[in-house]
Amino acid sequence: MANLLDLLRTPRGRRAALAAFALLLAAAPLALTGYWLRLLTNVFMLAIMAESVNLITGFTGYPALGNGVFFGVGAYALGVLMTHGGLVFWAGLPLAGLLCALYAFLLGFAVLRTKGHYFLMATLGVMEATREAIKNLDPLTGGDQGLFFPVTRFSPAQLNVYFFYVMFGTLILTVGTCWWVVRSRLGYAFRAIKASETAAGVLGINATLYKTVSWAISAFFTGLAGGIYGYWATFIEPPAVFDILLAVKFFVMMLLGGPGTIFGPVLGAFLLEISSTVIWGWFPRWQLAIIGGILILVILLIPNGVAEFLRRRLRHAGLGAPARQGAAG
Amino acid sequence: MNAVSLGAIYACLGLGFSLIYGVVNIINLAYGAYLMVGAYTTYWLFARFGLDPFLSVPVTAAVAFGLGYLMQRAIINRAMRVNIISAMILTYGFDLIAINLILVFWSADYQVITTAYSGRSLSLGGWANLPYTAIGILIACGILALLLNLFLNGTRTGIAIQAASLNPASARLVGIRIEGVYAMAFGVGSALAAAAGSLLATSFPVFPGVGDAFLGLVFVVTVLGGLGNVWGAVVGGLALAAIEMASVPLLGPSFQQLVAFSVFVAVLVLRPYGLVGRQFFAELK
Amino acid sequence: MSLLEGRGVSKTFGGVTALAAVDFQVREGEIYGLIGPNGAGKTTLMNVISGLIPRTAGDIRFAGRAIAGLPPHRIAALGIARTFQVVQPLQGLTVCENVAVGAIFAGRKPIGEALARAQEVLRRVELWPLRDSLATDITLGQQKKLELARALAMEPRLLLLDESMAGLNLQEVGVSMDLVRAIRDSGVTVIIIEHVMKAIMGICDRVHVLHAGRTITVGPPREVAEHEKVIEAYLGERYSARSGRDGAGVRP
Repeated sequence: MANLLDLLRTPRGRRAALAAFALLLAAAPLALTGYWLRLLTNVFMLAIMAESVNLITGFTGYPALGNGVFFGVGAYALGVLMTHGGLVFWAGLPLAGLLCALYAFLLGFAVLRTKGHYFLMATLGVMEATREAIKNLDPLTGGDQGLFFPVTRFSPAQLNVYFFYVMFGTLILTVGTCWWVVRSRLGYAFRAIKASETAAGVLGINATLYKTVSWAISAFFTGLAGGIYGYWATFIEPPAVFDILLAVKFFVMMLLGGPGTIFGPVLGAFLLEISSTVIWGWFPRWQLAIIGGILILVILLIPNGVAEFLRRRLRHAGLGAPARQGAAG
Repeated sequence: MNAVSLGAIYACLGLGFSLIYGVVNIINLAYGAYLMVGAYTTYWLFARFGLDPFLSVPVTAAVAFGLGYLMQRAIINRAMRVNIISAMILTYGFDLIAINLILVFWSADYQVITTAYSGRSLSLGGWANLPYTAIGILIACGILALLLNLFLNGTRTGIAIQAASLNPASARLVGIRIEGVYAMAFGVGSALAAAAGSLLATSFPVFPGVGDAFLGLVFVVTVLGGLGNVWGAVVGGLALAAIEMASVPLLGPSFQQLVAFSVFVAVLVLRPYGLVGRQFFAELK
Repeated sequence: MSLLEGRGVSKTFGGVTALAAVDFQVREGEIYGLIGPNGAGKTTLMNVISGLIPRTAGDIRFAGRAIAGLPPHRIAALGIARTFQVVQPLQGLTVCENVAVGAIFAGRKPIGEALARAQEVLRRVELWPLRDSLATDITLGQQKKLELARALAMEPRLLLLDESMAGLNLQEVGVSMDLVRAIRDSGVTVIIIEHVMKAIMGICDRVHVLHAGRTITVGPPREVAEHEKVIEAYLGERYSARSGRDGAGVRP
């Protein structure tokens, strides 16, 4: 145990541990059953969305509780592209992501003019409004009846593995992109905007542009998650993909794991989803209450997120370097 | 006429939500749960004891007040010291628990209250029919609004609440115990939600999702009236009812919600202090 | 040669007139003081120049180029930097990162170069030992230095200082004055808002006096100190009349 802690204290050690964990996950389909593969795929999906919302909320300081809107838009975009546009999955998916980014970009100029609580509620309103809009685009989206995706030719077992890797790969892409973005000029801009938009302005940062870009990037990856989900589930309908519970869930995963860190949201997703699914297995009728209870406990006990909590533990054990948000690990 | 009574309920809900937001400054995601507490308690009292739904309003309001007061005092106060978004997530946790409890005890079915006067109306000489329930709702909402006004302006606690909402730091300095005030505001707001829920149960079916369904609209009402502006919520409620009524003949019923939420976003972006308000202090980052 | 020129600059907020047709010409290489009683409009003027608030009327030209109405980030990129009266350290970033931000964006430098430049500036203002501390973990006095360092890292042509000496003791004021002179000597024009009169008298080439949004007078420090209307603005009519009779010149 002491050795593991020592390992985790150096940046190199942390990276190695991470790589090992990733490899382990990549090898999972060899050892795990369909149930666990599907569970992990779900975790990856939530992790992608938690990581994405972290960009606009944890780093840039705009609480986008309604970021789930892009999950729905992504799902429907891909659905429409595949059924009406005849595109294959791999062609349609990036396009669906880009459409979400475009949506965020366009909305951003108006919606990002609000701040704090107003912004939070505006994003919820956007989510509700978008859901209703999709419902009303019947000929294209199937409205209330929902939309069917083209069916794959895989067997159920193959499906589990296929989507496991697709979601896993997308997660790696998301985390990698976020890691790179945060270390770049974009990252400096986002963090400055979060700290003080006024000061950022006089330091030469075009806040309007940068926060919109931040939202667009988060929308892109959330949209990818939505698209993959759609193809995976084969059928989507408005209340299922524009779901407040889902949006709050991954938002909380970000809070739990540590906003403003790179791996925090992923950690939060793992912890929250696995624990709630396992407990749900024991008390099937109490799923919602269990999630609710976990949320309450988490907020009361670990207000700054697990990543921050761990970081402090590792520091007290004798690291010495001062805390730095967002820069490394 | 149903639309107007619905507007009255919206206004009532908006009052409670705005009170909590304006004073405690959190977005109470468990608000819908209190609406359901009201609705289901009324239903239960009716089904079990035959208590007339309108008469159950004081009961449900009292129960909700107690629960809300405790919830704020014992639990939410802690989270607020960290940050307000965490407090909000906390309320969401409670919301989930409440929904689950209702699902377990009453199932997901729609429950309807049918009294002797349900579905019957007072006819105004061929010009209009006023359903008795609608009349009851309007009267009840009016009474509630009056009571709230009396409370806020006529009692020491009420004035303390107003002071706290305008400037918590100063309120503390003059000796007002903020935690108690917050709990009171939360309790009163929750009581209003439950009362509205009970009134809702007289005319509409109740089901476990009703709280969340109305919560979305409550947001709209509160924003239209100005976040934190308590009486603006009344304007907001009427405005929402008007918007819904207007959009039906123009665009068709399926566009109602779309219009409502689009207006909501537009108001937030263009006039965050609502259709009536001046800028309120509730602007936290 | 005027580096910064303003003509008829006005700003009203609803019913309140914060600035009323203010004219100014700041010459390249000078230290231009901006003084006036509280509420005179000094910070408002600085906010208008730096683009944080839009002016209601008037023109502002920087090196001949019209800048009124441009967003703050564009004005920063053109070479105008400023500090804030109430310090705004960027929380979540270290001292070094704070200073680098200006160089990255307004200065358009790549991150590596900006961090190097930041280290240089930190050495100059004697904050280098704290470079890896979080900006919110240092004292207020150090945060004021950080504000200055952040502005300097942008390599501005014009530096706007908003009460950077408030709360400093006599010795610290002296050090600060030397620093401002050194900054000017390195080629930066400075506009400085101050209440610390020792500093204004000591380092300014010219002083611009505002009162209730209007310019009372502009001139070398000595002249301004003896100007009747200036004394009136600060101390009231009685004192100015007395000073006129004495002929000795009461300093505000």
